Amino acid sequence: MKIKLFAATAVLVLGLAACGGEPPAPAPAPAAPVAEAPPPEPAPVATASVGETPADPVAFMKTRHDNYKDLGKNFKLMSDNNKLPAPDMAAVTAAAAKVKEYAGQMGTWFPPGTGPEAGETKAKAIVWTERADFDAKLADLQTEVDKLVTAAGTDAAAFKAQFGPTGGKCKACHDKFREEEKK
Amino acid sequence: MTDATVAIETSPAPTPKQKVWDAPVRIVHWLLVFCVAFSWWTAEINEMQWHYWSGLTIMGLLVFRVYWGFAGSETARFSRFVKGPGAIAGYMRKLLKPNYRATFGHNPLGALSVIAILLALAVQVCLGLIAGDTDGINSGPLNPYVNYELGADAADLHEDLFPFLLIPIGLHIAAIIFYLVAKRINLVGPMITGSRKAGDVEGPPAGIAAVPVWRFLLGVVIAVGTVWLILWLPTIR
Repeated sequence: MKIKLFAATAVLVLGLAACGGEPPAPAPAPAAPVAEAPPPEPAPVATASVGETPADPVAFMKTRHDNYKDLGKNFKLMSDNNKLPAPDMAAVTAAAAKVKEYAGQMGTWFPPGTGPEAGETKAKAIVWTERADFDAKLADLQTEVDKLVTAAGTDAAAFKAQFGPTGGKCKACHDKFREEEKK
Repeated sequence: MTDATVAIETSPAPTPKQKVWDAPVRIVHWLLVFCVAFSWWTAEINEMQWHYWSGLTIMGLLVFRVYWGFAGSETARFSRFVKGPGAIAGYMRKLLKPNYRATFGHNPLGALSVIAILLALAVQVCLGLIAGDTDGINSGPLNPYVNYELGADAADLHEDLFPFLLIPIGLHIAAIIFYLVAKRINLVGPMITGSRKAGDVEGPPAGIAAVPVWRFLLGVVIAVGTVWLILWLPTIR
């Protein structure tokens, strides 16, 4: 019995030590708060094609970041409504349309020369080296977003059923192509 | 459980047991160990729906443990084990003496780690409740009450403060090893079985008295009810 207890102790201590031993993520420098009193619509990046490096990559990347942030806000609006028994379907429909607009442009957001080598971004370099898979995942997203727009125009139940699968396509790409650490 | 502590002098073979921890204290303790590890792991592998339920489970366990700190058995009660600086200093002097006897329940120094861990968990739970990721996909149940920026800041803090939970947990484990190695007292065994050999230890030989079952059930109702309330609130926003 004593040995069992000692073994249990050892296992628990080792288990906990293993958890505790994980190096904590480096605390990031506090991000400069983006003061945007009425959130301005970020100018969509629509011009640069997959092939050309933009004239000002840093500005281009900043716009890309702002677009993703606005996309996140539209998603949060849908997520908040997803938790309500009676979602505000007008707001949900508008947000879904906005997401569709962004998803449609996203293929032009990652031209050469706008990766981690060019400046601050969470986009991994494999976005450019494994472009075919990136595009395939983007196509998946666009398929689900089309369904989401249709569902939002149908009713609350259809929207709620389609919200999770759409988010899953966002996650599928983030898991592979986005850095976890805040940069 | 026959040999959680090693008596200094030889004692007769059949030794009576001293009950030190009631079942709810032990169950909450080990569920917290599991849920904290599980929460860390699900965050690491980005399985946020599991993280969500793990965090809510921790919240329920915390609510129960705080209630049990007033309604539980003698060693579970805050009033019994949370002591001032004088008692802590006195305990530390006693600890270094060869005739040290194991404390009945939490010792005054260990009480600090109990409070620190409970507080750190409470802070993490509160942050997690309102946290939302920058994608607007995964969020705590109360995230609809805050805007995008506040939700994202809460999520950042939730992650950045994790080491402050690991510090008291690390000290807690270090202390367990210290007692095992330096004092030859196994503290893990009694936290599993609830009892230890009633040889050379402090406290009444029989240990804690039984607590009526209704008090336990009331605590479960309060804990589950609190989690239910948190989940229900956003639906009437």
